[in-house]
Amino acid sequence: MKFHLSHLQAMLLFALMISIAFGFLSRRRPLERVKYIVWSLLLFLLFGIGIGWAMYPFSR
Amino acid sequence: MTNETQTAANSVADPPPDRAREARAIAIGVAGWVVPGLGHALQKMWGRAIMFFAVVGVLVIVGAGMRGNLFRSEGGDAFAALGYFADLGTGSFYWLAKYIEVGGSDVSHAYGDYGTRFLAAAGVLNLLTALHAYEAARGRKA
Repeated sequence: MKFHLSHLQAMLLFALMISIAFGFLSRRRPLERVKYIVWSLLLFLLFGIGIGWAMYPFSR
Repeated sequence: MTNETQTAANSVADPPPDRAREARAIAIGVAGWVVPGLGHALQKMWGRAIMFFAVVGVLVIVGAGMRGNLFRSEGGDAFAALGYFADLGTGSFYWLAKYIEVGGSDVSHAYGDYGTRFLAAAGVLNLLTALHAYEAARGRKA
């Protein structure tokens, strides 16, 4: 079994899994969980892509 | 027999309920560590049990499939020891990762390095869920 994920795919999968786990750990009601998961996922992606762009000028 | 004597006799015969509860909570925490989600399943928290099993399972399978570094006990330095501790956090899934990763790790590619993070994150996450199950069994609002 082999997986060759790109940077973006790996980040998306990681962010989604961790967001789901945190949502289920910290919230009890289904709606609150969904809100938490979506919010956490968006923040993961925002910071991930943001830090990626912040490093871009130093990459060459 | 006076009331005081009777109470003292009862306390010797039966362990205090808090101690029994604590022992049960520890057993649930250990079960949650060995099999991700089992600690919650034993407390009939089915949604959490299924999700934690699935999340830790996906992270381990993908991490091992990306040929991440699965640390072993004979690491040598502090980082390897920390990595081993994190990987062991996946409980029985540590052997699942070993079984999947028959070709060994390959961190010469970016995805191998990501796989290492996936495996470590799965372990730390599982430790967190086991701790959550333990706290819930102790009666803390979870």
